[in-house]
Amino acid sequence: MSDTEKGISRRSVLKGTAVGGIGLAAGGSLLAGCGDKATGALAYGARSVDAGPTAQNEALIAAYTAKTKNEVKYNATESNAFQNNLSQYLQGTPDDTFEWMAGYRMQFFAEQGLLADLTGVWDAVGDQYSESYKIASTGLDGKQYFVPKSWYPWGLHFRKSMFADLGLNADNVTNWDEYLKMLDGMKKKGLVGFAAGDKGGWEAMGTFDILNARINGYQFHVDLLAGREKWTDAKVTEVFTYWSQLIPYMNPNVLDLEWDGAMQLLLQRKAGSMLMGSWFGGNFKEQSEADYADLSIIPFPEINPEHGRDTIDAPIDGWCVAANGTNNDGGADFLKFAGDMEGVNATLAATDKDGKLIPMTSANSGQDTASYDPFQKEQLAVMAEAKYITQFLDRDTRPDFAGPVVGPAIQSWFKNPKDVAKIQETLQSQWEALPPLA
Amino acid sequence: MSSTAKDISKVSRRRAFSKTDRTTLSAFVGIPLFFHLLLVWIPAVLTILLSFTYWSGISISRIKWAGLANYKNIFFDTPAFWEAVKNNIVWLGWFGLIATPIGILLAYQVDRQIRGHKFYETAYYLPVVLSLAVTGIIWDFLLRPDGFINGLMGRDIDNAFSFFGNYDINIYVILTIASWRHIGYIMLLYLAGLKSVDLALREASSLDGATEWQTFKKVIFPSMKPVNIIVIVITIIESLRAFDIVYIIYGSRGGLPILGTLVFSNIAGEGASMKGAAYAVILFVLSIGPIIAYLRATFKSDVQ
Repeated sequence: MSDTEKGISRRSVLKGTAVGGIGLAAGGSLLAGCGDKATGALAYGARSVDAGPTAQNEALIAAYTAKTKNEVKYNATESNAFQNNLSQYLQGTPDDTFEWMAGYRMQFFAEQGLLADLTGVWDAVGDQYSESYKIASTGLDGKQYFVPKSWYPWGLHFRKSMFADLGLNADNVTNWDEYLKMLDGMKKKGLVGFAAGDKGGWEAMGTFDILNARINGYQFHVDLLAGREKWTDAKVTEVFTYWSQLIPYMNPNVLDLEWDGAMQLLLQRKAGSMLMGSWFGGNFKEQSEADYADLSIIPFPEINPEHGRDTIDAPIDGWCVAANGTNNDGGADFLKFAGDMEGVNATLAATDKDGKLIPMTSANSGQDTASYDPFQKEQLAVMAEAKYITQFLDRDTRPDFAGPVVGPAIQSWFKNPKDVAKIQETLQSQWEALPPLA
Repeated sequence: MSSTAKDISKVSRRRAFSKTDRTTLSAFVGIPLFFHLLLVWIPAVLTILLSFTYWSGISISRIKWAGLANYKNIFFDTPAFWEAVKNNIVWLGWFGLIATPIGILLAYQVDRQIRGHKFYETAYYLPVVLSLAVTGIIWDFLLRPDGFINGLMGRDIDNAFSFFGNYDINIYVILTIASWRHIGYIMLLYLAGLKSVDLALREASSLDGATEWQTFKKVIFPSMKPVNIIVIVITIIESLRAFDIVYIIYGSRGGLPILGTLVFSNIAGEGASMKGAAYAVILFVLSIGPIIAYLRATFKSDVQ
């Protein structure tokens, strides 16, 4: 994925990351105690209570314990609750290692000294990851604080069987006009064209991201999220203009549905397409193998030929070690195992209650892409077409802006799509009213 | 209370206090007072101080003085605040003019032992047993797009009737849900009060030929003053501190902004900032203002 390297590194530079620091040979003193020596029992904080991830974690932990004899205490929290409590959790008595996200959201906590330095882990397993992942795992001080587990792309998802029934060919949906024409055809058949939900306040951020990147390009998008461009810019107005062209093809109850509601529309064949992260494929698989096999993804269509389809939201999930944990060495030792192909294989071998493998696209380059199922291969193709990788709006901008400001602003746009100018002004004034960064 | 009674109690109290009494008493007063200060007043004062700072909630050394910036931000740059104020006012109006009077009316009817009063009493009181969070979950199951009601109406998720996402009606949907519980709560409070009203008063008024309504308005209601105060204060507090139902149904981001969720969404999670503290202070001032004013007025008239 050499293409992706460029994307993340450029973005990181723009964000002021000291990329120069990445190459530093790290001391690895933290991990001096690792290796064959037992590092003792540790606690693992999971950011999900869903069946799939839980089975994966259990398999990984079992393999780690079998190898090292170190006991691992497993604490799982529902993901929203986990995120809401993270600051307090990390300042209190956190688990030694916990699940988190790469990029800005990791850097924010690393900056505050709440994450343990993982350069030692990277010394041990770093050669199994492409440079882009290392950069996404690196804090502003040039040290690594994160070990990636998996990635997923955001793209247009649809059901192959529905496209076949409608006589559509996904290869012919490459630009905006073709896409609108397709949506129109779906509407005439009584279908929802573009399944959307934004009750959770974050779902539609993905649509904003991709429209902004398609219309105004990667550079403008990252500059906007970093505050170097203004939300009142006519280019942002343009994003909402295009977005409003999708409204007639959306389900009317966008603010009633969360992501899973939108997914239901696709699952129940009531909607023809949905923009979402491919992670929900696991839910299709839980439903039935046939539903999963029917699922397909293509890149969001081109709008501005100047930018083509060169940008994609592809968030990376993984782990950190909490600096305030009781056993930092143990946490790092665990991540050395989890990040190594040995741990990745243990995770990939996890099965659900029906004994079926749980799909995962690992960040580790050791996972043989030939072993990918067809849907995963499509994800890889979508990813490979992109030149620039972004994480996601709420992972790419200040946390006190994304959640409390952008989320409600997009919701109020859904309430009244004519209010664009007012919404843009509010976004800009609230950006300017943010406290200075420490 | 006459002044002589006060003096007597003072004197007798002074006499009766032995050393053990004093130790016991100071322990009984002191320990709760200590915890009250520690858990209520110190955090409250700290919150007020923090509302004048910039801080992400991580490491105390990073706190920076912000002056009035957080308040300026809220009042001038955050439209969600004014939406929330509007919603809280609607909430207060609905509770004050609809839910609370219905609760009182029910209490009065149940107290008169109308037919089936035991059933009504149980039925209306049942929701009070549930926490607001549970109430929210139950109604979410009923009213969500793939929920029970839409199922009954034969509507699928793609053409479901919008209870929570239609912003012309959703505040009233939420208020109906909240009232479901609030009415029972008020009914119970009022019922307890009505039980203590002297039956002779009622008999006297009916002998004098007063109608049911006149009896209630002129005799029962005024004699229930202490309960009335509690009911009014509770109605105000419940309307302003509303949070649980909205949070359960909409989560902390956006949805239906009310002051309670704004406090939460700005102070919890990664986006934590002392704007959340400022919201909390605004909410504190709004709730304590009317209550102090009302209590003062009441006690004044008591003294007179």
